[in-house]
Amino acid sequence: MLRTIEIKQSVFADNNREADSLRAELKEKGLFLLNLMSSPGSGKTTTLVRTIEALRDELRIGIMEADIDSDVDAHTVQDAGAKAVQLHTGGMCHLTADMTRQGLEALGTEDVDLAILENVGNLVCPAEFDTGASKSAMILSVPEGDDKPLKYPLMFTVCDCLIVNKIDVMPYFDFDYEAMCERAKKLNPNIEIIPISAKTGEGVEKWADWLRGQVKAWKEK
Amino acid sequence: MHEMTLAIQAIRSVVEFAQENGIENIDTVVLEIGELSLVVPEYMEEAWYAAVPHTMLERSKLKIDMVPGNGICLDCGQVYNIVENKGRCPKCGSDSKDVLCGEEFNIKEILVPEEE
Repeated sequence: MLRTIEIKQSVFADNNREADSLRAELKEKGLFLLNLMSSPGSGKTTTLVRTIEALRDELRIGIMEADIDSDVDAHTVQDAGAKAVQLHTGGMCHLTADMTRQGLEALGTEDVDLAILENVGNLVCPAEFDTGASKSAMILSVPEGDDKPLKYPLMFTVCDCLIVNKIDVMPYFDFDYEAMCERAKKLNPNIEIIPISAKTGEGVEKWADWLRGQVKAWKEK
Repeated sequence: MHEMTLAIQAIRSVVEFAQENGIENIDTVVLEIGELSLVVPEYMEEAWYAAVPHTMLERSKLKIDMVPGNGICLDCGQVYNIVENKGRCPKCGSDSKDVLCGEEFNIKEILVPEEE
C-alpha cells in the first residue's frame, strides 16, 4: 500500500528565494546588477563596449561574461575601461541566482558601482531563471525580425528594458518597428523600448541615460 | 537544456522534504509540468534518471502529470486550450487572454510505502 503525501512546491521556488536574497544584499551594498539577455549575434558585445564608453567616467563598471558563444574576451572589455571576468558555464543554457552570486564573487565587487551580467545568448531559458539582478534588459536586433515578441513572450515579459539594436540597417529589412513595439507593450506595458545602433552610436546616449537613472534610483532608495 | 538544473533542484527539494519529515523510502515522485512551461517532459525524465544515482531517490519511480495550458478569452469569456488553438480564441478569434493554468513546474506529491 502506498500513501500519498502532497508537496505542491514549485521547482523554481529555490532559485527565486536565492535570487531575492541576492537582490536584497546588492541593495544593501548599493551595487546595481544588470542582467543583459539576447540571442547570439544581436550585437551584445558592441553594445556593451558602447555602454562602458558612455558611463566609465562616472561609474565603476564590472562585466561578467557568461555567453558560451561570446567572442568578447576579458581584454576587449578591459580595453574599453571596465573590469571583467569570464564565467565558465560549461554549455549551460542559462544562469541561476547561485551561479550569479559566484560570478560576483569572482569579479570582486568592492570597487564596482554597476555590474553587468552578460547572460547566455538564448531567449528561452534565461527568462525562466531569476538571477537576482536589480533590473533585466534584452537586446533585439533588427535582422532578427519584428515577430520575436510573439515567439519568445516570456523574455519580453520579464525585461524592464528592450534595446532594439542595429537600427541603421532598418531600411534593408522588413522590420515593422511600430508593430514590434505594440507586441512588446501588449506583453509588458511597462517595458522601456530604446532603439539604438551600437555601430553608429545612435541612441546609445538614451540607453546610457536609462541605465544611469536606474543605478541612481537603486543607490538612493 | 535547463531540464538538468531543474531535475537537480527538484531532487534536492524532495530529499530535503523527506529528511525534514523523517521519510526513509519513497516509491514514486510525481512532478507536475504545465504545457506552457518551458520544460520538456521527455528531457526532464532523462535528466532525472541521470541525476538520481547516489541519492535516496535512486530506486524511486518518476511520474509526470501534464497540466493543460488553458486561457480565458478577455473578449468573449471562452475558456480554451492555448496550445491547440495557437493562442487565439476559437470562438471569436481574439488573442487577448489571461492564462489560467499550464505555466507551472511543481513537485506535486510523493508516494511512500505504508508502514505495516
